[in-house]
Amino acid sequence: MGSIERGTNDGRALPASLRAVSEGPLATDASGSGFFATKADWLVNWGRKNSLWPMPLGLSCCGIELMAMIGPKFDLARFGAEAARFTPRQCDLLVVAGTLTWKMATAARTIYDQMPDPKWVIAMGVCSSSGGMYDSYAVVQGIDSIMPVDVYVPGCPPRPDAVIDAILKLQKKIERETPVARLFGGGPAMRDERGTGQLHYQPNHGLGKGRLDKHPHDPKSRMNLGDPNPRKTEIQ
Amino acid sequence: MTQTDNPSGGAASEGAAAVTPLLAPRWAAALSGLAYKHLRTAEGTDTLEVERGDLRAVLAALKNGAGFAMCTFVTAVDHYPRTPRFAVSHQLLSLEHNDRLRVRCWLRADDAHLPTCSDLWPGANWSERECFDMFGIVFDGHPDLRRLMMPPGYDHHPLRKEFPHVGIEPDRLYRQWDRKRRESWSEKQ
Amino acid sequence: MSTGLTRQVFEYSPGSPPELDADDPLHGELLALNMGPQHPATHGVLRLAVTLDGERIVDVDPDVGYLHRGKEKSCESLGWHKFFPHTDRLDYVQPLMNNIGYALALEKLGGIEIPERAKVVRVLLMELSRIMAHLIYIGTLGIDLGAVTIFFYSFRQREELYSIIDAYTGHRMNNTYVRIGGVYADVDEKVAAMIDKFLAGFPAALDEIDAMLTRNRIWYDRNRGIGVISKDDAVAMSLTGPSLRASGVDWDLRRKQPYSGYESYDFEVPVGSVGDCYDRYLVRMQEMREAAKIARQALERLKTTKGDVLIEDRRFVLPPKGLVHSSMEELIFQFKVVTDMRFPRGEAYHGIESSKGELGFFVASDGSAKPLRCHIRAPGLMNIQALPMLAKGRLFSDMVSLIGSMDFVMGEVDR
Repeated sequence: MGSIERGTNDGRALPASLRAVSEGPLATDASGSGFFATKADWLVNWGRKNSLWPMPLGLSCCGIELMAMIGPKFDLARFGAEAARFTPRQCDLLVVAGTLTWKMATAARTIYDQMPDPKWVIAMGVCSSSGGMYDSYAVVQGIDSIMPVDVYVPGCPPRPDAVIDAILKLQKKIERETPVARLFGGGPAMRDERGTGQLHYQPNHGLGKGRLDKHPHDPKSRMNLGDPNPRKTEIQ
Repeated sequence: MTQTDNPSGGAASEGAAAVTPLLAPRWAAALSGLAYKHLRTAEGTDTLEVERGDLRAVLAALKNGAGFAMCTFVTAVDHYPRTPRFAVSHQLLSLEHNDRLRVRCWLRADDAHLPTCSDLWPGANWSERECFDMFGIVFDGHPDLRRLMMPPGYDHHPLRKEFPHVGIEPDRLYRQWDRKRRESWSEKQ
Repeated sequence: MSTGLTRQVFEYSPGSPPELDADDPLHGELLALNMGPQHPATHGVLRLAVTLDGERIVDVDPDVGYLHRGKEKSCESLGWHKFFPHTDRLDYVQPLMNNIGYALALEKLGGIEIPERAKVVRVLLMELSRIMAHLIYIGTLGIDLGAVTIFFYSFRQREELYSIIDAYTGHRMNNTYVRIGGVYADVDEKVAAMIDKFLAGFPAALDEIDAMLTRNRIWYDRNRGIGVISKDDAVAMSLTGPSLRASGVDWDLRRKQPYSGYESYDFEVPVGSVGDCYDRYLVRMQEMREAAKIARQALERLKTTKGDVLIEDRRFVLPPKGLVHSSMEELIFQFKVVTDMRFPRGEAYHGIESSKGELGFFVASDGSAKPLRCHIRAPGLMNIQALPMLAKGRLFSDMVSLIGSMDFVMGEVDR
């Protein structure tokens, strides 16, 4: 994962007022996050984590449990995340609930790209986490081969309580982020800062060549490709 | 008979083949003059085996003369490596008489096409499209023979026996799309 | 024995869309609109390529397959036994019903008779599943048509059913509790008491939903006269289930080709008259009442029917776990059932009346342990196929009612 160097983070100039603060004595210490930035981070994170706007991408069975989660018994509103909007442009939490197929993958990736930053992704259920029981020709073996994932929820389908737990975990994760400090050039940048959709993220980064390339049952799956490892050239 | 020259499916079909049943079924009158082989399978559904050339006439006679108003499904069974390879089954249902009938037609792999029945039963339209998508069997005269399940640019017919379950380059179309998308970004920048 | 439905009598707005206005500035230029595959009203991942003239639908081209997971191929490579969990995920609002459909087809193929008590338990599970599925229909259609309250009311009932299924099987959804030759475990007294309590309260809850919707003017206007399909067209388009019965065809497989002992239950088959969205709604509401009635009878029958709920045939049924740990022979049986279950050479088809229509499994075996073919006849696929025919000439806002009232689940449509 690439991180962006301090001061050059996204090419956007800071507003004059903020620049004054950022260059003032309270702004940064040697580590890049000072008193002001830390407090402001806390405030921003508090706001973000308690009003997540989920985009429910209900693909299959998990979608029904997602509905049950919003429904009366589990009542997601208690955690501030009940305002489900079905347009990606108003949401910051993508819940991929169910089996993602390769035919649907283009649409799912488009939805992810259309969401404004900051955005988080929950892979709900084993199908979206790893392909689950579908080791077949049509199913994406884990949505992390097309988009970054923050929290994985196991289960087929996971019980609504498990997904609520995932949302709580995500809230903890959001607490650790440093949005304001990053604005001033400190802290890591792991997200799509420039808004181009190009992530500093590589699919299947941890696996090296990627899961599909080394599928145990299908050693020759890439024999017909001109380029033996096309991702090298695709992802900058 | 060896399996290869009589690959006619049904458990009870051997011996029963080409033998006229004692009680003539109610649809027999509608089919008079047409060539078919009546098999009685273990599960109890009557099955007719017809040659491809006669299929159209048999289906039309069953619909118009015997009251089979609904086509439940059209599908194929891949008997690879036997020859002929595909057994296409049309399952018909008569609401009026409350019975079912299956019409089976054998096809060779190198000549896998048969006439459509989607003009007789509009409901068979998508069944035939699915059959084409999954097996590559062409239905002549079908008004709209596109893939149903797999995306348009897909290369294979997944339910053929030689196709591996995990697929062959399952992500090819996605990667193509992804490459184009990334190129369009670099143009914008 | 079928029953007609009473349609409400209102003075209402005309059922057909307003006449084309020649001066309409929107008229004349065709607009291609893409709906889905991610759209809240398409109930899953259906894509509709709609061509509009102004606000009027000229053509609809449904594009399915966004949830095609290769189930039929999975069956061929996994084997008969290991395919059971996959059947749950077909029509995932009624997992147990799909299990039973698949088990019935295999029992037909293998010529297996199941115990009487297993049949009763299956009927009970099927009818509870039917209620679960229809509640989803009411809830989602309610949301789509702006009646969000209904979603909460129907999900409250559904949650009660979930608790029952959870107590019985150990999971809320995708239970895989049905086996070849019966069901995995008996309905115990605690679960029976829960079902009893649910069935006692359900009619009143249904009345509540009924009071909010059936005579609701908005609901009525958005459903009446929309998507009318005639008897002959419905049959020709291979529609089954409530969509067919709403058009006035008295066809219910539970009555016409009974299975699992349905012929001995007392219930009525609601039949519509017009075949519009409103009739489909009425049919489903009435079906829920009848399903509760059948479930009540099955529950009573459980008290008197004694015996096993699973056959003792080691060719098809897993041995009890305790024996597997202590007996070498049983361990081998367990191994054989999972990896090497064989059915006689032949083909079999069994259709059941699921909540969407005729759910059929066409299974073919060549006598080996590898299934030759398992084709799933999905009622939802036929329902979507009929959409263009129903939508042509209607206003675009009617599309939402139509999609909701045809009631398909993409897991089953795409397989």
